[in-house]
Formats: sequence, C-alpha cells, structure tokens
Amino acid sequence: MGSIDAQIALLAIAALFFLFGTGVWIGLSMIGVSVAVMWIFAPAKPAGDAMATTIFSDTSSWTLTALPLFIWMGEVLFRTAISEDMFRGLAPWMRRLPGRLVHTNIIGCSIFAAVSGSSAATCATIGKMTVPELKRRGYPDDIAIGSLSGAGTLGLLIPPSLIMIVYGVQADVSVAKLFAAGVIPGIMLAGLMMAYVAGWALLNPSKVPPPDPPMPLAQKLSESRTLIPVVLLILLVLGSIYAGIATATESAAFGVVGSFVIAALQRRLNWQTFWDSVMGATRLTAMILLILAGASYLKLAMGFTGLPRHLAETIAAMNLSPAALIVVLAILYIILGCFLDGISMVVLTIAIVLPMVEQAGIDKLWFGIFITVVVEMAQITPPVGFNLFVLQGMTGKSIFWIGRVSLPFFIAMNICVVLLYLFPGLVTFLPDLMVSAAR
Amino acid sequence: MRFYLRKLYDVTGALGGVFMIVLLAFVLYSVGPGVGLWLEQSFGLPNLFNYVARSADEFSGYAMLASAFLAMASTFGRGEHIRVTLFLQRLKGGARRAAELWCLGLGVLLAGYLAWFSVRLCYVSWELNDLSTGLIAIPLWIPQLGMAIGAIVLVIAIVEQLFIVATGGPLMEEPSGEEAMHIER
Repeated sequence: MGSIDAQIALLAIAALFFLFGTGVWIGLSMIGVSVAVMWIFAPAKPAGDAMATTIFSDTSSWTLTALPLFIWMGEVLFRTAISEDMFRGLAPWMRRLPGRLVHTNIIGCSIFAAVSGSSAATCATIGKMTVPELKRRGYPDDIAIGSLSGAGTLGLLIPPSLIMIVYGVQADVSVAKLFAAGVIPGIMLAGLMMAYVAGWALLNPSKVPPPDPPMPLAQKLSESRTLIPVVLLILLVLGSIYAGIATATESAAFGVVGSFVIAALQRRLNWQTFWDSVMGATRLTAMILLILAGASYLKLAMGFTGLPRHLAETIAAMNLSPAALIVVLAILYIILGCFLDGISMVVLTIAIVLPMVEQAGIDKLWFGIFITVVVEMAQITPPVGFNLFVLQGMTGKSIFWIGRVSLPFFIAMNICVVLLYLFPGLVTFLPDLMVSAAR
Repeated sequence: MRFYLRKLYDVTGALGGVFMIVLLAFVLYSVGPGVGLWLEQSFGLPNLFNYVARSADEFSGYAMLASAFLAMASTFGRGEHIRVTLFLQRLKGGARRAAELWCLGLGVLLAGYLAWFSVRLCYVSWELNDLSTGLIAIPLWIPQLGMAIGAIVLVIAIVEQLFIVATGGPLMEEPSGEEAMHIER
C-alpha cells in the first residue's frame, strides 16, 4: 500500500471525526465516510449493494441476539423492587467495614452487574435506592456519588456484558469465554474500589456518619432473604453458560424469563410494565444496531484501503513492545472515551486496532477484557460519559463535579489495567477451566 | 399530516416491539432441546423437548434485525440515536439552527442511501428468488423487507424533522439524564 493511500485513509478517519463533532448521528456518519472510501478505493465495486448486503448479514447474526435480550432483561429488572431488596439485604452487613454503607454501592453494583450487561443500567438501578438512603443518613455527597458512578461501570466488566458481546462479535472471540474472563478482573476491581473507600474512611473518620443500630444475626440473615431472587437469577444466567448448557444468547433468554418471574412474584408485572420493558429494549437495540450497521460497513470499506494492515506492519517495524502498545492504546481510548460512548468507541476502532494487537502478539481474549476496562473509564470521564448522565439526572449535580468525585475510581481502573497486564492469568484462568466453549 | 406521521412511527415502533417478543420466542425454542437433554442426563427426567430446533438461530437473527430497523424512526423521534452534541449545545440561535440543518440534511442523504439500497437488496432477492441457507430455507426478501421498511420510515422521520427545523419550528429535543440509561450502549 502506497503512502498516498494511507494518507487518504487517514483523511477519511479525520472526516469521520469531523462529522461526529458537528453532531451527525454516529451510525450515519460511518455510513457516509464508508461510501466515500468505497468510491475512492474500490471504484469497480457497487458501494451501495455491498453496504446493504454487509449490514443485512452482520446485523442479523445469532451471537448478536444476546445483546437485545440482555438489554431487555435489564429493562425488566429496573422495573422490579430489586433495588430496594438489595439495599435491605446488604446494608446490615456493612456496619463494621470502614466506610460503612458506601460499600452498599460497590457490592450492590457488583452483584447487580452479574445480571446486567450495561453500566448505566447498573448505576441507575442501584442508585435508585442508595442515593436517597445514603443522603438521608448524612454520608458526604462526593464519596456516595463517586463510588456509585465508579462501581456502576462494573456492569460492563462483570458478565453479562454488552461491550463483550459487541467485541466478541466484531473480533470473532467466544462471548462465553469473554464472560468467563471478566469475572476475576471484575471482582478484583470491586476490591480495589472498596479498598479506596475503606482508606478514605480511615483517613476521614469524622465524615462517616454513625452506623445504623446493631441488628442480631438472625435478623440480619432474615433481611438478606431479599437477596435470594437476584442470586438465583445469577445462577440461572451465568451458571447455564459456564456449565456449557447454554450459549450467551440462550442464557440471556433464560434471564428475560427469570426477570419476568421475579417481577411477577413482586407483583410489579402488568401489561404496562411489560410493554414499557419491550419498547425500552427495542429502542435501545435500534440505537445500537444503527451504530453496528455503520461500523460493519466501515470495517468493509477500511479493508479496501489496506490501512489496518499497513498500520499493523508499521507497528511491527517499530518493534514496539506489547507494553508500549498497550500504554499508547490506553491513552488513545481514554481520550476517545471523553467524547464517545463505549460501543461506538469499540466498533470504530476494532477493525484498525485488532490487526495491530495481534501482530504484537497480544491475546485477543485478554485484549477484550482490556478494552472493557477502558470503556468503563469512558463511562465516567466528562464531558461525555453515560454514568455521568444518569447521575446528573438523579442528583442534579453537574457532569464535571460528578467526574471529579469519580476520579479515585478512574484511578482504580488504571491500576486494574496494570495488574491485568502484569498477571494475564487473572483473565485467562477461568476461560481455560470452562466445561465447553459454547458458540 | 404530523398526526399521521407520528402514528406511522408509533405503529412501526410497536411492530419492532412485537419482533422483540418473537426473538425471545425463537431463542427459547432453540434452547429447548438442550435443556431437555440436560434434564434427562442430569436428573433422569423424560426429555419433553425432543425436537430439532431447525433454523431457529437464523430466524432469531432476522427477528432482531426486523425489530431494530422497524424501531429506528421511533428511536430517532425521541432523540435517542447517539450523536455527539458537545459542540452543538454551545451554539445559540441561528448558528445552532444552521448546524441542525447540516446534520439533518446529511442525515436525509445518508439514511436515504441506506433505504434505497435496502429496498434494492430486498427487490433483487425477490427477483432472483434467493433463499436463506438454513435447514428451513425461506425467501430472503422476507427478512430484508423489515430492514427496507424500517429504513424508509427512518428517512421519512428525518425529512419531517428537517422540514420542521427549516420552517423555524422547534429543534430536536435532547433526551434528559433520566432517560440516559435508555440510550446506553
């Protein structure tokens, strides 16, 4: 590939960011730039027909159907009493931890993350209960809201995960394996966040409100009964994947049915909530699929430019160590994450970045977890971050204030990436153990 | 006119919802034999789902495609399609309106391109009588029809919005923070 070609391809990427910047819808921007690229680099090919065929086949893939189902499951659970239940069940156990009820945010988000694939949905569902309860007890806003914003992102790392589904489909990595790979890093990141909260509490004892009155063990256990439904749902969804009974898609279908059972038992299920959950999931899927449609066409077009291969060769020629490449990519993603949402960021870059990463000898599975953690960072970096939007809606604080109080948790994610790099076994251990690699 | 257009988006959106339910049904149907076998092997229960879920995976994908495309316009109408509004929000008055016109104008062109070739894909499949490759072969124009209709309605929605903004009507609403969980990826 000549350097002129490379320059034109880079110009196309610049044009793409120009369109993004002026506010053109992301999926449509990608279609526009791809058409132009096809006209320039593959003038003999029918650009429009190639687009329609690619979009049709890529956005009707079986693996991808896990995405709408997990979204639907989250929509159903948001409409149940699961948020109240989890707070009631967890709060009595947090008295002795330094930082007390702040940990209900982190543990609550971690548990809910095991049934939710999205960061903002986790944040919104857990926050519905913890935000008012912590405020009422006098916990300072900065730690209460910062920890929720940070821990909400665990929705992406702890399986199921929408980002992992999108990455798995794009990078051709087993979604079930990605789900398994996210478990240990997710628990580790939750641990890092709890350690920060504990450290903060020990340094600022005056800011931690007094504990709730003590509760006898029997009563504590009885309060924790409220956690049973969510635990059963986790067993159903993740257990069926790890036991090799179900693919990610099928476990998502179990999850939707299971959530409806919980909603029905809590008497929260009626025609209105049912239809609201269907339409919420449908529109969210439509929004994501427009981006994926644009991205699949962009991937095709970029293939004709040869840019991904060219960049991979350049990187190889530079003899960049994997560590250096990861640092460069992490910085790139953190900057992109300030302005783009996670899914756009992943689908936009995968076609170009993946050949490079493979060239450098980095495992695709490991890279999927890496990308999930950097997307988590993107959720809490202002000015564009969906956890920030959710919390702005819930608390009325400004995006930048929430971003600032989330900073310690952003740093925890960076530490997490470093640890994952030093100990890749944290990622690969569980997938290697899996019964069978489901589709 | 606006009333009927709104109805159109609502109806296609609701159809998208119906296909979401169809998707769930297909996936549950496809997982049945696996669950039956597992219950039989693990607990010795009789296998109630002893069938072959032919082409259920393929049909699930088609249901998802139809669901998403049919709901494109309704999603657009609520301002839920992702765009970067960071710089757009800084603009005031005429500059803002001009910028919106640029976005909507380009939106009409690009969505129109998508719709044109989606219709063409569907038409060519019908003409050549293309079949799907699964165990149950269905004519490919059937799933492609959902994509084509959804793309056309999306264009109509963007054209309507372009017309509104061009004639001095209100700009598109931004989804509020409350709704942010519904616009996450």
